[in-house]
Amino acid sequence: MRVMRFIVRIAMISVCLLSVLPVFAQQAAEILDQVDDNEIYESIIHEGEMIIEYQGRTFVKTFKVWGRENKDSFIEFTNPEDRGTKYLKKDGRLYVYSPDTEQVMLISGHMLKESMMGSDMSYEDTIENERLSRRYTATFLEDEKVDGRDCWVLDLTAIKPTESYQKRRLWVAKDNFDMVRAEFYALSGSKLKEYTLIRSELIQGQSFPMESEMRDLLRKNSKTTFRVINLELNAPVSDRIFSTRNLR
Amino acid sequence: MLSVIAWRNIGRNRRRSILCITAVGIAVFFIIFMNSWMDGMFIGIENTVRTYETGHVLAVSEGFEAEKEYLPVQFPLEKVFGGTEDYFSDDELIRLAESLPEVRGALPRIQIHASLFDNVVKHALVWGIDIDREREINHFNLTKRTDGLVYGRFPANDANECVIGTALAEKAGLRIGDRIPLKMVSAEFSDKYWSPEITGIFEFDYRKMDEDTIIVPIDRLQRILGLGDRAQQLVVFAHDQRDSEQIKAGMEQMLGDRTVIRTWTDNYWVAMYRSMTWLYYIIFGVFQVVASFLIVNTVLMMIHERIKEIGMMGALGMKRAEIVFVFFMEAVYLSILGATVGVFLGGVATWVGSQFPFDMTTITGGGMKDLPVSGTLYLVFSPTMLIQNFFFGVVISALCTIIPSLKSAFVEPVEALRR
Repeated sequence: MRVMRFIVRIAMISVCLLSVLPVFAQQAAEILDQVDDNEIYESIIHEGEMIIEYQGRTFVKTFKVWGRENKDSFIEFTNPEDRGTKYLKKDGRLYVYSPDTEQVMLISGHMLKESMMGSDMSYEDTIENERLSRRYTATFLEDEKVDGRDCWVLDLTAIKPTESYQKRRLWVAKDNFDMVRAEFYALSGSKLKEYTLIRSELIQGQSFPMESEMRDLLRKNSKTTFRVINLELNAPVSDRIFSTRNLR
Repeated sequence: MLSVIAWRNIGRNRRRSILCITAVGIAVFFIIFMNSWMDGMFIGIENTVRTYETGHVLAVSEGFEAEKEYLPVQFPLEKVFGGTEDYFSDDELIRLAESLPEVRGALPRIQIHASLFDNVVKHALVWGIDIDREREINHFNLTKRTDGLVYGRFPANDANECVIGTALAEKAGLRIGDRIPLKMVSAEFSDKYWSPEITGIFEFDYRKMDEDTIIVPIDRLQRILGLGDRAQQLVVFAHDQRDSEQIKAGMEQMLGDRTVIRTWTDNYWVAMYRSMTWLYYIIFGVFQVVASFLIVNTVLMMIHERIKEIGMMGALGMKRAEIVFVFFMEAVYLSILGATVGVFLGGVATWVGSQFPFDMTTITGGGMKDLPVSGTLYLVFSPTMLIQNFFFGVVISALCTIIPSLKSAFVEPVEALRR
């Protein structure tokens, strides 16, 4: 009799636990959806600074960005060393115009994995625009505080083996679904990159990362800080900007 | 008289004597051939390292040295004097280096990794050099002692042109007149895109260059990479390689603390091979000892077979030392004859190998790409080496037979005659 009662108790506890797990999974997926929703806009125009710190030296690159619906974007570098270099992301492809060669080139294949303008971001990092919730399965890990902010910690596993980062770990702020921190992993489990949000602002009801930092852990003593200046969301942007003719 | 007896005894069992001579001969031949091969490899490696990588003395900045496997251009040669920082121009570097009397020529160079667009070959090494000055000082094809150009021409100064190796051209499907779109990272950490036109194809008989390298004019590359007139490396060639340390000392005084200066002997491959010389002699010694086992066995068998004869010799008044001497000299004569055969065959083989090189690429299946050595190998023919190995073979073999020969000294004449 006592044994029976013990077995029943264990069974009830197990049922309770198992019933909670789908809840956690659903919660994780919803959190990830909210993170994705933070990045939805019809258009975006801003100036920016990319500060590359590498081996004790600092390189500052300035640029202007035009973006449309998270799909297409146009970047023109304005600092003296790179003036005239332009990138166009359109229909999932990345084109570059170099004033040295006066040619438009398509960046594809192995080139996409290379560092963009010497920064800690790769070209692939800059052209990925599909929602994380469609590319990854999210698992809730725990709650954690980051820089005084309460966060959910999510583990993301890539759905397709062709993803550049097979696993990610995200720290998502509970108050506004900012991605406060992220870690990017290879299939082997090696950590490849770290992202940290330094500052965000509420613009037209959306929380936007105004200053953030990326570290490529395969490079010694290297980090890149991105700063957004003069941001305009959902302003009218001409379609002509997102054409290869505009690159020349 | 005893030597004559020993000499005549060799002919008593011709088959056994021939076997001993053959064994020693093979060992000596092998040692001479391998010695010649290794010398050829060492010389090849040293020449390749000096021509393509370090010259006799190489100067780079501290920052470059820390990251040299990435070949960064963000750390050109710099000077720090009186607390102020500045960079050396390439003309200044050349002037300073060539002010030393031991210096034959100083050449600024830039090496940088590049990614190729639209090509099965994904990456290449771009080599920016002063082509005219390099051709005055170096033979790029060390086998044929030519500049290595097989088709077309070298690029003009400051031109949007390049030459590539035969293997790269074949792998990438490129010809003269084609352009190679590529991307590099400049001195200011910018992506720089360039499409030089191929004006020529070279064959340096060095896989790493022929497969992976694109040679361009240094002045054009300096401009594209935002280096101005600065250089990433200064490669200095001496009149006599023995002056390398002196040149290094002189340049350290002139170029300051922030510059790392190395001689060609500091190169990893050169240092490694030089440090392994003693190992090869040990291996050769082991071979010789193994070959000598046949003579040792022969001596032991001779003593056993001629034990009555030893007893007779003792009974007739020969001293133990004299008996030992006879057997020892038999072994020495066999060693000398064997070493002579080995030296003759080894000499012929190494002379032929010094005239007609081995195709290392075919022999190794291309497996020596990471080794700084030409695709063809000439053996070194050296009469000094032949004489040295002759004595090496004789001495080792003879030493091995001392103890067995001593066995004959312990044979009691009375006991021996009773057998």
